[in-house]
Amino acid sequence: MPEPIVRFFHTSMQFPGVLANDDVSLDIYPGEVFALVGENGAGKSTLMNILYGLNKPTGGTVTVKGQPIRSFSPSEAIRRGIGMVHQHFMLVPSFTVAQNIVLGDEPRRGIFYDKARANQIVEELVAEFGLKVNAHDRVQDISVGLQQRVEILKTLRRGADILILDEPTAVLTPQETDELFEVIRRIVSEKSMTVIIITHKLYEVMAISDRVGVMRQGKLVGVCNTKDVNERILSSMMVGKDVLLDALERIDDHDSTIAIQVEDLHVSDNRGLPAVRGISLQVERGEVLGIAGIEGNGQSELIEAITGLRRRDSGRVLIQGTDTAGMNPGQIRALGLAHVPEDRLSTGVSAQADITDNLVVGKESRKPFSSLGLHLHKKAMKAYAREVFERYDIRAAGIDTAVGSLSGGNMQKVVVAREFSFDTPVLIISQPTRGVDIGAMDFIHQQIMAKRNASCAILLVSADLDELYRLSDRLVTIYEGRLTGEFRPDKIGKQEISHYMTGGGREEERHAQ
Amino acid sequence: MRSERWKYILSLTVSIALGLLIGALIMAATGHDPLDGYSALLRGAFGSKRSWGNTLYKTFQLCITGLATAVASIAGIFNVGGEGQMYLGAIASSYLGARLAGLSPWIALPVCFLAAILSGALYAWIPAVLKVKLKINEVITTILMNSIAIYLCSYLANGPLKTTERGINSGTDAIGKALRFNRLIPGSNLSETVFYIAAISLLVWYLMSRTTTGYRMRLTGQNERFSRFIGLRADLLGIGGMLISGAMCGALGMFECFALQSRFKTDFSSEFYFDGMLVAMIMRYKPLGIILMSFFFGALKMGATTMQSSTKISSELILIIQSVIIFLMAAEEGFLRRVQEHRVRRQTVQKEG
Repeated sequence: MPEPIVRFFHTSMQFPGVLANDDVSLDIYPGEVFALVGENGAGKSTLMNILYGLNKPTGGTVTVKGQPIRSFSPSEAIRRGIGMVHQHFMLVPSFTVAQNIVLGDEPRRGIFYDKARANQIVEELVAEFGLKVNAHDRVQDISVGLQQRVEILKTLRRGADILILDEPTAVLTPQETDELFEVIRRIVSEKSMTVIIITHKLYEVMAISDRVGVMRQGKLVGVCNTKDVNERILSSMMVGKDVLLDALERIDDHDSTIAIQVEDLHVSDNRGLPAVRGISLQVERGEVLGIAGIEGNGQSELIEAITGLRRRDSGRVLIQGTDTAGMNPGQIRALGLAHVPEDRLSTGVSAQADITDNLVVGKESRKPFSSLGLHLHKKAMKAYAREVFERYDIRAAGIDTAVGSLSGGNMQKVVVAREFSFDTPVLIISQPTRGVDIGAMDFIHQQIMAKRNASCAILLVSADLDELYRLSDRLVTIYEGRLTGEFRPDKIGKQEISHYMTGGGREEERHAQ
Repeated sequence: MRSERWKYILSLTVSIALGLLIGALIMAATGHDPLDGYSALLRGAFGSKRSWGNTLYKTFQLCITGLATAVASIAGIFNVGGEGQMYLGAIASSYLGARLAGLSPWIALPVCFLAAILSGALYAWIPAVLKVKLKINEVITTILMNSIAIYLCSYLANGPLKTTERGINSGTDAIGKALRFNRLIPGSNLSETVFYIAAISLLVWYLMSRTTTGYRMRLTGQNERFSRFIGLRADLLGIGGMLISGAMCGALGMFECFALQSRFKTDFSSEFYFDGMLVAMIMRYKPLGIILMSFFFGALKMGATTMQSSTKISSELILIIQSVIIFLMAAEEGFLRRVQEHRVRRQTVQKEG
């Protein structure tokens, strides 16, 4: 065995009230892909934040390339060649791709920012690592998958040879995931980098990693060679019990009333370019319609247009038979619609507000939360929040914890709990389990299925094909703002459907030539 | 959350104590006895009925301006334009107060009050709409609009609305005697207006802390996108916060002129709004905290004058003390985290040992 490049030695991290890392000892070797898996709140991110210098451990030591770390700070970590791409990206939205990549170490000509040189640097990086981005695009206008590439390029530019990826595939489509893995393999084999990848998805662990470490409740419960284990072993190590997902119970007596009707909808994206180009669809009560597609093909714009968050260029959207033209999100919700948004942190919650406020909002003018729609009853709000907190098994210090400090899965539980409790006949759900652990994912899936069985009309957008297959009654594929096919999940394989997600027929033409 | 509050109170107390300590060091360094200085300060703030009156007057003034800042900030708009809103409220109500002198106060006063809050609110409405509809930064617009309002009032009070009374420079006609507010303590600035300010403050505190409207405004201020997503009218809530803020400033403008000046004068305010804004920022827009802190700063401000006249210590010293407190409160968060980490680490070490 070579010398470990990173060594955690009895490392502990005590936060107020939570022991996030409990005596973790772990060696990571140069040139390997190491996967760190575990449920939400198991302490994976905390451990990596220590390595990146964001947390200072309260016990034990961390050694990088033989040198123990004494001062924990990201700048120190970067100096030692550690780069980290976070779950929530740290980019300046109004800057271009090139500006973001060189930020902090900008090429200059005299005292001025050297734009040409910056673009050149980015192009060189793109050529070297094969991560395709357009240097001139503004970060706010590009897809999440591309933003992630920008993050990775940024760390590579700074000369990182140890790359930490926190849930990198949570925001990616299957194709983008494959591309990312391609890149990881290349930088490991050609540039002899070390990659540490935090993930929930066990099949990805199997696909990409050399070794895998499993964390549970702050402890490292095992480290294995990936080839010696399988998904079932890993998942039972993670949760301590076997939870490979079982089929969900479907009750089919839906009344086939059309609850969501979209007719020839056209919508533009933030740059004013067409994103949705003439989509028509219908969802009946008691069915789940899944939209499968690679991120950035108009799904976000479609959902925002249906729920009133984005202006429609043309076309009609009827909710429960009522035309929603000119309505704001509140008016559309009043027709009986609830919405789980794709981006929970920026759209789905108020991060500064506590759990109580985030659970009650939308119902504050109803009894028992207020009288006359004006005077708030804080006790009733808290009692309600406490009950939901228990029922959804939200893991936090208490109902007055700020939602922004929760882990992704727990934050999502808050969003789902609030939206589902409106008891609306129409549900619009986007990426319900992105970055969520298996336990929480199964729970959320069961909630969605229960809503379906209770005659809700559900429109589901997900980048996770397994999720779509598990929940949907019908599937449609979306490509470049158009629907390219409609299928029953039991009649089409994942391989074939991803074909339609990438343009379907057109691909064949190209091959034929 | 509860322990958060205690931590906050603790760090505030420490900040104030350190501020006063540094004040004492500076007094000593400049050749004055700190004990003399602070006792003169206390005397100035609480030494007589008159000084009590002035301290309370300043307290209420800081309180209403601080809450005005807080209301707008909570709803997501930072109102730096309170001074201008106050000027417009002052001149509109004072003008009517002179014109309606013949009417019964029961009619004239409410009309003047309405004019004051409407002009303040209307003037706050402009930057609010610019912010909400066109995303124009409200800090810039409100600062610039302060100058517009103050110069406009100056023009009016020196031009079309200038009084014909002799001996009055840049002021409007006198407000009807029956409409003016009486002083509660002779010789001090404390007047009946404190009851109105107290009522307004209570109302605003209730609105922000205990009603659905305040709840919605708070969520909107925290995350405008979320507010829209959940179905709230984020635009109207933001504008609403500014309207309330502007109305409060307008009301204060009227109170100042109707109680102390007997007419609108261009120099009736010495940047009152900014003192209150500072208090609000130190107290992180928490209504109850603003009310308490107003008293402390009110006492400092009023005591400083006496300190200067009786001990020759410059009243600028108060600025230093205030700045130290503000500085420490701004640094408080990072500092506390360090202390916490240190404590946890020590406990861990002890446990292991």
